[in-house]
Amino acid sequence: MRAGTIHRQTLIRTFKKSAMAYTFIAIPLLSSIIFLIIPMLVSFYWSLTDYNGLQPAKFIGFQNYNQLFTNDKYFLISLRNTTLLVLMGMSVGPTLGMITAILLNQKIRFQSLFRTAYYLPVMTSLVVVSTIWVMLYNQNGLFNTLLNGLGINSVGWLSNPKIALVSVAIASIWQGFGFETVVFLAALQSISRELYEAAMMDGANGIQQFFHITLPSLRPVIAFIYIYGIIGSYQIFDQVFVMTHGGPIFSTSTIVFFLYSKFQDLRLGYASAIAYVLFAILVVFSYIALKMEKD
Amino acid sequence: MYQKKNLHKPFQFSVKRFWLYLILIVTSITMVIPFYWAVSTSLKFEQFVFTNPPQWFPTPATLQNYVSVFTKVNFDKYFFNSVFVTVTITLGHVFFDTLAAYAFAKLKFPGRDKIFFFLLFGLMIPFQVNLIPLYRIMATLGWNDSYLALIIPNLTSIFGIFLMRQFLLTIPNDLLDAGRIDGCGEFGVFWRVVAPLALPGIATLIILTFMGAWNDFLWPRIVLNSESLFTLPVGLAQLQARNTSNVAQIMAGTVLAALPMIIVFLFMQRQFIEGMTAGAIKE
Repeated sequence: MRAGTIHRQTLIRTFKKSAMAYTFIAIPLLSSIIFLIIPMLVSFYWSLTDYNGLQPAKFIGFQNYNQLFTNDKYFLISLRNTTLLVLMGMSVGPTLGMITAILLNQKIRFQSLFRTAYYLPVMTSLVVVSTIWVMLYNQNGLFNTLLNGLGINSVGWLSNPKIALVSVAIASIWQGFGFETVVFLAALQSISRELYEAAMMDGANGIQQFFHITLPSLRPVIAFIYIYGIIGSYQIFDQVFVMTHGGPIFSTSTIVFFLYSKFQDLRLGYASAIAYVLFAILVVFSYIALKMEKD
Repeated sequence: MYQKKNLHKPFQFSVKRFWLYLILIVTSITMVIPFYWAVSTSLKFEQFVFTNPPQWFPTPATLQNYVSVFTKVNFDKYFFNSVFVTVTITLGHVFFDTLAAYAFAKLKFPGRDKIFFFLLFGLMIPFQVNLIPLYRIMATLGWNDSYLALIIPNLTSIFGIFLMRQFLLTIPNDLLDAGRIDGCGEFGVFWRVVAPLALPGIATLIILTFMGAWNDFLWPRIVLNSESLFTLPVGLAQLQARNTSNVAQIMAGTVLAALPMIIVFLFMQRQFIEGMTAGAIKE
């Protein structure tokens, strides 16, 4: 009798505790299901349909995907532009971040002042940064007047289809590399001083120290920077929207910008297929990230 | 030994240090010039915006552009919308994310790890994939073109839960048990014991959420039609798109949109840096 009561009490207590825990997670869980998981599944179904939001979706199998890769020049251009932006960004940004972090990691005055300068654009909105660069890139803007002062002809930064993509990349690198500076700096500061002292005793010079201590210690951070940099850059949209609107003649259209324009045209099935192509690209890089983290 | 002594001498003059400072100063100036140029342009009369040679100091200077973004463009409304939406979203995250993180980190209940794993899967889904169905859901609910579409889907985030869970795991269980013995319920333990200890983590969460919401562009751009509901990035992008002639006025808007983040950053620099590096560097 007594044992039974105790048992029932613990049962009620566990239930109460669990009920409490379920209440605590209820809203985030519901929110994730309604606004994340269901849309994701619906989006995949729509990517297999012809759907404009007004008439019911018509199932057409993989035709959207087929058309994207075999019959849509502008999608392939957008895919190529995005990949070029990722390549340009990733070949310059992290290196700049690493160099500035190493410079900042010396014994210097005003360290936090310099760090703030590099970091300032990172937390500024991309729309703000882009409107500023539109002004700088203007035909009569600061860059061209400075070039003219040096006796160089004006450049059509955003109006020349051969240059516009590079201009977008430059602005994006300027905006983003401060993040890498700050992350690398924090990582550098966490490397034990003793390692360097031991290396100095062994007579290793600065360059040897860099390749045998600094780089190996930073390996996980470097992997993080590149993977998340690539994933982030593949989603580039704001800069393109503000600076060029994809132009001139599609020379700066990116995957997400192309998706956005198809969404505006109410080609919802087609736009969903574009979203899933992007998803697939990001999954590949996330998989690589997971693999590298396990090593 | 000899080298070490030298390092501590103030203002040691060497060629190496000269180059070090030169590079740092030149690159820092490169970073600041676009901002400086935006501020300087915002104080110019329109006819002096593009001059050759460039006018580094606005002469004559004017505040007219700042007046006109409030009188001719509704920047006061954009400002209010941005503040209202961002603050509401941030409060939602602090409450819901931390509470859920507490359950995942410190409470035992059936299915806990499975649910958490399920949520982690959701972390991988890029926003663009949900965009169109989410827009249709908002349309069905009649929420498009209202604060609801901006706020409700963004009140919690899996990333926030994940971040806070990592943080709460470091709080010793003994403290929670002490709270329970003192007669606190689970919510009482959360509110009186966990939340105060989690404040540094919450600061990080606030900064990341605030920054994300304040700078968000794609989603507000898609769900908003009425100009009176525009947030600052949406309003600024529209001003830029339709008003290419009046650059000085655009720059006044730009400076106003950038200023709040920069002020918050300057006051909370340490938390910003810790927050931004939280994902990259494991202690």
